[in-house]
Amino acid sequence: MIINRLMATTAVCCLLAGAAQAEVTLQFWDNQQTESGLSQFQQEAVDRFQAENPDIKVEVTTIPYPEYQQRLLTAVQGGNAPDIATLDQIWVAAFAEAGAVADLSEHAAKSGLSRDQFFAGAWDSAAYGDGLYGIPFNVDVWQFSFYNQDLLDAAGVDPQSLTTFAGLRSAAEAMTGDGKFGVGLFGHKGEDTVVVVNSFIFSNGGEVLAADGSCALNQAPAVEAMTYLQDLAQFAPEGILNASSGDMRELFLNGSLAVEFWPALEQPTLQNSDLNWGFVNGTAPEGKTAVGTFGGWNLAVFDSSEHQEAAWKFIEFMVREDVNGDVVDLIPANKAAATAFLAENRQGPDEIMAHLDNAAPRPLSARYLEVADIQMRLYQDVFSGAEVQAAADAACGDIDALN
Amino acid sequence: MINQDQRLLLVFLIPAMLLTGMFMYYPMIGTLIESFYQTSFISPAPKFVGFEVYEKVWQSRDFSEIVWNSIFWTIGVVLLQNILGFLTALLLNQGLPAQGLLRAIILLPWVLPGVVAAILWRFMYDPQLGLINSIMIRTGLMESNAAWLADSSTAMTAVIIAAVWKGFPFSTLIFLAALQNVDREQVEAATIDGAGPVRRLFDVTLPAIRDVILVNIVLTTILTFNYFDMVWVLTRGGPQNSTHIFPTKIFETGFGQFRFGEAAVYGVFSIIVLAVLVALYVIIQQSSQNRRRTA
Repeated sequence: MIINRLMATTAVCCLLAGAAQAEVTLQFWDNQQTESGLSQFQQEAVDRFQAENPDIKVEVTTIPYPEYQQRLLTAVQGGNAPDIATLDQIWVAAFAEAGAVADLSEHAAKSGLSRDQFFAGAWDSAAYGDGLYGIPFNVDVWQFSFYNQDLLDAAGVDPQSLTTFAGLRSAAEAMTGDGKFGVGLFGHKGEDTVVVVNSFIFSNGGEVLAADGSCALNQAPAVEAMTYLQDLAQFAPEGILNASSGDMRELFLNGSLAVEFWPALEQPTLQNSDLNWGFVNGTAPEGKTAVGTFGGWNLAVFDSSEHQEAAWKFIEFMVREDVNGDVVDLIPANKAAATAFLAENRQGPDEIMAHLDNAAPRPLSARYLEVADIQMRLYQDVFSGAEVQAAADAACGDIDALN
Repeated sequence: MINQDQRLLLVFLIPAMLLTGMFMYYPMIGTLIESFYQTSFISPAPKFVGFEVYEKVWQSRDFSEIVWNSIFWTIGVVLLQNILGFLTALLLNQGLPAQGLLRAIILLPWVLPGVVAAILWRFMYDPQLGLINSIMIRTGLMESNAAWLADSSTAMTAVIIAAVWKGFPFSTLIFLAALQNVDREQVEAATIDGAGPVRRLFDVTLPAIRDVILVNIVLTTILTFNYFDMVWVLTRGGPQNSTHIFPTKIFETGFGQFRFGEAAVYGVFSIIVLAVLVALYVIIQQSSQNRRRTA
């Protein structure tokens, strides 16, 4: 009898204990842009997080980059959003406007996470209205001009000349011919086209949208930059209207392209090649410093998540100085983590840090994707030989009509 | 009054009707309703605007380009695919040696996944590294590299050629089945009457497979009008919209720019075109059945 009562009491205690330690399971979605083994590194970090937080379980879903936007959008529309996901900087405003992601301002303030710990442009990309809808996770900047040292030497080109508008044009002209191409411009319908052209516009003092939200692509600095690129395109491989940064990489790797435009993300690929390569930070008019276009991803908590506190704990962990560098395949957004990451993994870490610090974000607009679509059409018109001012005026008409 | 057999028939039909309703008509009706609302990802609360989105789409620069592209694309692919498919079927119907192997080789493009076929053609069209430029330059047909997919004047033709390569085995299969059912006695009688191969083709074979030809044309028109992966992988609708067709525009507008209302309008136009084609298919089928009954 006593034994029976003891067993029953033990069973009840076990059940109660189990209920008290009920696990929270978080769904975390990220995308993978390189073959860097990111999933494995993230899983190791998740194991660490779970060891530190035994009551929280994290299930990681890594989705290939090309499918990510569609999968995430479908999940949100279908009411099946994950608890946490990485959002491209250019999506944050739209997701915030749609009410799909939670405002993290209070969490960030309580935890002591602030703008000065991250790259300023990355932090700003998560701010929309009065709220903060993400915490910067990883960053990079378009573009670095990666060059083939052997081709530059053969043409007698000084790599530093690539940093100025005039120098890049002369170098491209000198290195084009005999099956070789001077510069890897590309103009397909893709975001990589937008960020590269933006970088030339920014470096020339131009903007995509002015401070009042109106289109600034038809202003003199932007038109000058596009006119410059239109002329430079004669030294690029044939077919740039259907070519991407990936297509230019193929030509660069096989030794037929002298200069390609990529973010620092390109370095691991080049480190594994036999090329004699180097890089400089973008291109600007003589006497000015090149301004790159910011890229990267923020960690966001979905409004539909029932585990907001646990999700915040996970974000805090992922952007921590000792973790952030282990879980990204771009550059950690935490500046302290980035310094260590670049020193260990990239050539020219100081140059990369300088270019990141000087980079400008793309327009922080809830209608960014529509703006970018109009930009793509404009840049294709420019590369097709259209009169730049007229094409820019038409594009600005379309952009201003969005509002 | 419904008798027991009819009741039983209804019971068996209900699951199929439910599934068809859920997976076909519900999304179609949903698309139609969505097209009357101003709705996007950033404005999830739908606002009824009547035909305002239709008007916006109708007046946009893109719409007329997409209509003309879709017409050119569909006619080009259907015409070439069926002609090539028919000629190949005629060849395979000649009793050549190694028939099985030949059929397998010819079917290969059709069984390849669309994305894989598109990537293959992207490599072949590559201006610097592609096989097509290499062959044309070596044979003296061209002096320098051409950017087939990056030039607005050649991109659509290049995409059509790739789609025809991928799709013609489907037409071949159907035509071959029809050719093998042509009455041998009629062919022999025509031969005895002195008809040559061309006369036999036009006076005996083609009339005998007339219905199959019509059905094949309608079916390939429906499939081609809806074709997405080949165009998207090769050009994403570019350069400068020159290869944008309805499916690529719907995908880009909906999933690329989160403008669901506008994507729905393009979807409704698509549904209307496809409904006409399906009606045509049904009419052809019925008239051929009637002809068979009266024959």
